[in-house]
Amino acid sequence: MKTAAALLTLAPMALAVTLPPFEKETLPNGVTVCLMPRRDTPLIAVQVTLRGGSEADPAGQAGLSALTAELLRRGSGSRTADEFAEALDYLGAAYSAGTQPQAIVLRLEFLSKDAEAALGLLADAVARPAFAEEEVRKAVEQAADEVRSLKDQPGQAAQLYFRSLFYGPEHPYGRPPRGDEISLAKVSRADVVAHHKKLYTGRNLIVTAAGDFDSGAFRTLLRKTFGGLPAGEAYRWREAPPIPAAKEPTLWLIDKPDATQTYFLIGQPGLARTSPDRVPAQLVNALFGGRFTSLLNDALRVDSGLTYGARSVLDLNRLPGAISMYTFTRTDATKQAVDLALDVLGKLRKNGVNEEQLASTKAYIKGSYPTERLETADQLAGLLAEMELYGLGRDEVDDFFARVDAVTVEDANRIVRKYYSSDALQFLLLGNASAIRESVAGYAEKRKEIPVTSPGFGGSH
Amino acid sequence: MRLASLLVTAAMAHAQPLAVQTFTLDNGMKVLVHEDRDIPNVALYLFFKIGSRDERPGVTGISHFFEHMMFNGAKKYGPKQFDIVMEANGGSNNAYTSRDVTVYTDWFPRSALELIMDMESDRMVHLDLDPKMVESERGVVYSERRQRVDNDNFGLLEEQLDAAAFLAHPYGWPVIGWASDIEAWTIDDLRHHYRIGYAPNNCVMVVSGDVSRREVEELAKQYFGGIERQEPPPAVRTVEPEQLGERRVEIRKAAQLPLLMVSYHVPRSADADRTTLEVLTALLTRGRSSRLYRRLVDRDRLALDVSAYAGKSLDPGQLVFYLEVTSGVDPAKAEEALFEEIDAMRKDLADARELEKAKNQLLVQLYRQQKTIAGKANLLGQYEVFHGGYETLAQAGEAIASVSAESVREAARRYLDPKKRTIATLIPEAAAAKESE
Repeated sequence: MKTAAALLTLAPMALAVTLPPFEKETLPNGVTVCLMPRRDTPLIAVQVTLRGGSEADPAGQAGLSALTAELLRRGSGSRTADEFAEALDYLGAAYSAGTQPQAIVLRLEFLSKDAEAALGLLADAVARPAFAEEEVRKAVEQAADEVRSLKDQPGQAAQLYFRSLFYGPEHPYGRPPRGDEISLAKVSRADVVAHHKKLYTGRNLIVTAAGDFDSGAFRTLLRKTFGGLPAGEAYRWREAPPIPAAKEPTLWLIDKPDATQTYFLIGQPGLARTSPDRVPAQLVNALFGGRFTSLLNDALRVDSGLTYGARSVLDLNRLPGAISMYTFTRTDATKQAVDLALDVLGKLRKNGVNEEQLASTKAYIKGSYPTERLETADQLAGLLAEMELYGLGRDEVDDFFARVDAVTVEDANRIVRKYYSSDALQFLLLGNASAIRESVAGYAEKRKEIPVTSPGFGGSH
Repeated sequence: MRLASLLVTAAMAHAQPLAVQTFTLDNGMKVLVHEDRDIPNVALYLFFKIGSRDERPGVTGISHFFEHMMFNGAKKYGPKQFDIVMEANGGSNNAYTSRDVTVYTDWFPRSALELIMDMESDRMVHLDLDPKMVESERGVVYSERRQRVDNDNFGLLEEQLDAAAFLAHPYGWPVIGWASDIEAWTIDDLRHHYRIGYAPNNCVMVVSGDVSRREVEELAKQYFGGIERQEPPPAVRTVEPEQLGERRVEIRKAAQLPLLMVSYHVPRSADADRTTLEVLTALLTRGRSSRLYRRLVDRDRLALDVSAYAGKSLDPGQLVFYLEVTSGVDPAKAEEALFEEIDAMRKDLADARELEKAKNQLLVQLYRQQKTIAGKANLLGQYEVFHGGYETLAQAGEAIASVSAESVREAARRYLDPKKRTIATLIPEAAAAKESE
């Protein structure tokens, strides 16, 4: 222990990391393009980001954004779905299209020598999807089945139920991002076409690329690829409805009678991606539940052996999100584990954060940042898109280490008081209800029980 | 077009190999160093050549459990200190156990290199197995099993599939261990495991990132040079007898969707046929243009998803096909379509463009695995342990490029033999009840 402490000052860590240089331009039709050449592996990563995402799903049609994104490749330009797949696979390219709370994201990674062919495919997907009736119907049925299969994965299902509970029916984050059996059944081809027409426009599009290319030639290629899109309008962000969860403790118990362990989340209101509190909040959350030696994991895993892992998740999206404790434990230890999680939270509130904990967390955050955000072309393309989406400058990266270093114990404890001290905790438990119902009843007056076999995830669609 | 594409494959196949420097300490510990200074970080991986294949009935899962115990205190760095000190110095870590190896993975800023070497050497030789820690960690591993197997239909079915596919070889038992064994292993079992597996001569260390060979060599000598070599784990003598007919297992339980898995026996990773099998597998399952995706997911809609995987193995292992069956579909229908497609691979030659496509996919995949310092450390270690030396990684591209349509068909005939397959099906209980009405 003493020897170890002495080692702490062995060698200094890097003082800062910097974002590699990049170029930015706006095409005449409004498309924002950011380019970062990096010669490392002979790969190029391109990310197309469209403002909106699942928050743009119309009421009652949760999953429309995700479904539209999925359909882009199923017949586009002159190719059928099958031909598109063959062309993509022939290049060995990796393609994905999905939705985040505030953006639709398409990613494509390919060998630099294939840039022209790969971008041709991407352009077809973004600008010229066919949305054939037959493909729409097929995709809807597959999506509904995928949603059903999520219920065979209790950890993932618990997260989706938690959204319904925490954000409530009026909030865009309260709906399942990929929809559910009920909402997907209401989606027609016309809805998909209209959704595409509205959101896949020049002014709503951010294209970021990093990797093995020469900026000049690649810029020309990107102008050709995306310059022809209609300018349209940028997506207008929705007003943030309040999170109803903040009023009183609530508990939902999702009954999965065959479960041999209980999965649970305990949430309270947190902050948005652009909040001025984000850096100290990241530090506090890491030490509370965001790393192996965190207070939560130490108590629930290391000291008591109740679980394989316990953590605290800090949502950082456009609108303020949740801070949620998450873990799982054997059915008969459910109350013990929930109590212990609450006890750890209570201790954080009571004792706050000390200098030693904060110093360790700062080193941890700085040590893992380069490999999490700055190492690969796809990470960098994603980072540039995030900066553009949220209107952040390069200081977000260049000053990150300095901002981490500047956080004081007082700052950290202000974060604890502000975000980790709710009197209205929201409990979501998924497990064998008959075995745990009584033991967990004391956590909230307001309770609801939902069989896992009921369609959807307990909320609006 | 044909010519151009062939040239492309050849060019990719001869891509610059990873620059690796290597040395071996007097005690037999081999070290690979790859310098990459793009970010100020380092990945340090320790591959111990011991896994669930080195276990026996009654102590199955001990390799994996031991992996957990490696974080619970040694001499210089006591209980919890490994993680506390590592994180306080900007590092993070994990570990994984397979049938053949136990691998410890550290990621950290370059400033922590010496510290990590010190901590890794401390636990390689001075691990302190505290009975209280053993009991607490037993609960953690049990929770991991409940998470990965008991409450995961995929994990549950795969466990039963493996047990049926192997009659004799240790690959038949789960890496995480049977539940009864997790409850029963003792501190003496752990001591025995430490003695046979954790020695410098049974370990390969890979360091990739912002380092020089010189500093790695100096530190390796200083921290690992004094550790004594030991007898390596006893050889695994059991050879799986040839499978003589199809085998089936079935699980009936509450579930939303049925699952289907089919396992075939394949040679060990160092065998040249494994590259041919990779191409064969890519033709069948890689991407939405693959034969099984086209047929089962897109055209006939019998499955939501289809994939296949052949894990790295020191002994002859498995190629397993995984199908998530569409709700309301009889898994037998999906099975029939799967076998029709496999039969076609055994009967006809793949056309040139399709073969080229599969090879391109695998070649780009090789690059993709080298995007990060962690990816490179893992890949180098795997080639060193499973493919007869890290040098073989430089030939991996060429090996893929040289696979012919004839050799693919030959591999399909030889390895995807209906007599040598094991089929596992998970049938949702509600659907099962309907059938019996």
